[in-house]
Amino acid sequence: METQFDIGRLGQEKLFLVLSSAERLRQNNIRVIKTLIGRGYRVVVITTNQPSAILKKHYAAEGIGMGKVTFIDAITKYAIGRIPEGENDTKFVNSPSNLTDLGIAITEVLNPASGEKTCLLFDSISTMLIYLPSIHISKFIHFVTSKLRLLDVPGIFLAVEKGIDPLLLTQLTTYVDDVIDMDKPPGLLGPDGKSPGT
Amino acid sequence: MEQEQRKFTGEGGHRIWILAVLGLVCIGLEVVVHLTLRTAVGYTHIFYILLVLSALWYHHKALFIAGGLVCATLATSLFVGDLTWATILRAAMFLVITWIVATISDERDRARRMLQEQKEEIEKKHYALVGYISEAALRMKNPLEMLRDNLTSMRVQLDQGPDIEELKMMLSVQITHLEQIIGNFRELNREIVEERDEIPEAFREFLTR
Repeated sequence: METQFDIGRLGQEKLFLVLSSAERLRQNNIRVIKTLIGRGYRVVVITTNQPSAILKKHYAAEGIGMGKVTFIDAITKYAIGRIPEGENDTKFVNSPSNLTDLGIAITEVLNPASGEKTCLLFDSISTMLIYLPSIHISKFIHFVTSKLRLLDVPGIFLAVEKGIDPLLLTQLTTYVDDVIDMDKPPGLLGPDGKSPGT
Repeated sequence: MEQEQRKFTGEGGHRIWILAVLGLVCIGLEVVVHLTLRTAVGYTHIFYILLVLSALWYHHKALFIAGGLVCATLATSLFVGDLTWATILRAAMFLVITWIVATISDERDRARRMLQEQKEEIEKKHYALVGYISEAALRMKNPLEMLRDNLTSMRVQLDQGPDIEELKMMLSVQITHLEQIIGNFRELNREIVEERDEIPEAFREFLTR
């Protein structure tokens, strides 16, 4: 089922589990954002690994316009105990383990009837594992994917490739339409653009 | 219904048939030897095969079979006219032997069931512990790798002219991640300590501190 990153399929297949190595997670996050914005999407980034303020700086350094990115930040308030100044456009959640608030924030951000094409980027499932048992994460991701399908919104769930046990990976795979391995060499792709065995 | 069907087709079915055949043999002996040949010597020893087997397999329910044989023995003795203390004693022994074997079998089966339940309980706890350990490993190994990469990225940033505020924020996040990982590790230790009784008290306290 794993395929090389091909955002062109967002139209047909809406939900992706994107696997990345730990050291390339940030670069791959930026790569996904760039591609999505290039395709005209407004991107809702849910971050549990790095504060949104830092992500914004990295995005800006890569020439990504912040007008197309909305943040739900579940780590800043928990880690530094306060909301940084000038972050009014970001929704802050108390803790990555507070799934109720995270769910509410996602619902609020996805609902506005702006008419814009919106895509959700979840960074990352692996960090959530620090704060929650895998069973809770699985249920939450199931809730989010169901919501995205109902709203007809595409979603990308980032995870560290070797950091998810086979059971959780199988569960997550059933919730999404496809699994993308960002670090797989293109040479491994078949003639149809998909990796063998897909 | 299914259980009834099993009684006659599976292992229970064989037992029923064996006991039925033995019962017929016993009744046959009673009729042929006692009633026809008019002697009560020797043949009742065969009865014990039926009584012991039924007591082994059906425990105290075998007393009904013993009662039946007692009735048959006493009835034929009355008919033949050789009812003595020896006949009554023999009939009583049918009941006593059946009761003893039934009681021992019952105790044996109960002990076996208890052992099985204990084994299942231990296995269940063991699997739960293994599941917990793998979950804990999942919640420690991968986060530690992410932490390492975040710290590496911060070190690179230091070489490139650091933004102190950004570094402070990133450090706070890494400390928060670490605190949670330590919490997860402590929780894992507690689970293991609770599971293993043989860990000395001093080590228990150290592991859960």
